[in-house]
Amino acid sequence: MKVTLRTDVLTNNNKAADFNRELFESTKTLVVNIMSSPGAGKTTLLEETVRALAKKYRIAVIEGDLATERDADRIRAMGARAVQINTHGGCHLDARMIAATLGELDLDEIDLLFIENVGNLVCPSGYDLGQHHKVAVLSVPEGNDKIPKYPQMFMRTELVLLNKIDLLPYLDFSVEEARKDLSEINPESTLFPLSARTQEGLHEWFSWIEGAYVRCVRQ
Amino acid sequence: MKSMHEMALMGDILQLVHEDAAEKGLCKIEKVELIVGEIANAMPDALRMAFDIFREQNSHLFTKQAQLVIHLEVAEAECILCGEKYRPEQKIALCPNCNVPSGKVLTGETFQVLSYEGSLEK
Repeated sequence: MKVTLRTDVLTNNNKAADFNRELFESTKTLVVNIMSSPGAGKTTLLEETVRALAKKYRIAVIEGDLATERDADRIRAMGARAVQINTHGGCHLDARMIAATLGELDLDEIDLLFIENVGNLVCPSGYDLGQHHKVAVLSVPEGNDKIPKYPQMFMRTELVLLNKIDLLPYLDFSVEEARKDLSEINPESTLFPLSARTQEGLHEWFSWIEGAYVRCVRQ
Repeated sequence: MKSMHEMALMGDILQLVHEDAAEKGLCKIEKVELIVGEIANAMPDALRMAFDIFREQNSHLFTKQAQLVIHLEVAEAECILCGEKYRPEQKIALCPNCNVPSGKVLTGETFQVLSYEGSLEK
């Protein structure tokens, strides 16, 4: 007996994402899903973000890694709430994993929730977590070719944070070329060059978060 | 093997199939058909390998000959300025005719379970 389904493979993920989204909207929590390769600087960027914004906003971070609590510990040391998800080999976070951790977070008491996805430029891009925004971090040492090589990540993210620009004088990375490549994959996306280590350019990212938070609360 | 992306996807696919089959009282799945878009982030060969592994591990749910059929969906984009239709590769939004990033993806992102076949016999 043949049964026609025509069901999206990610149906169950998408249902969980909708559940998360409704919850985030009801508690007015801005949720940003941050994706990158391993080592692009997501955690350092989040440490600096918590440092800069924790006086004004109540911040929490969900950390996704294959193993260890290291990243959550780094965020806790900055004074924000952090929950660690260990995927035990899994290459991405999915919406069900996020839903399962939300019990540990009192969303009514959280203004900004950052989800640091598993370091991977391929798999995480396909999974809706219920977030308001998807942001990619790319770092200067990875090279210009990462944008055209991983178009499916960059076509699905609205903001790209180009981290480690303090290394530009020592490497052959062209910011102009990165902007051009990005516009040819996703003309609606924005690129902010910055350095989490030297703080250069971070204000643009912080303003973007504040704008997104205002839009989230007004909805 | 859990770290392979397509293993996780195949887990989702088979969960959908089994939920539906259980509702209809079907067991012993003989065939699963998928539609996989060229830019859907899933590799057909890896999906086939994942299917073979699941089939071996779940012999109570599948027949020994159970097969996975993959229908590839070609990626196509259309320029919103000139109407040119093209096959998006790396520079997905770049219209080859206008040479400006004005293309929208029409197809190629589908990733669906199209159908499955099962029988009522135990």
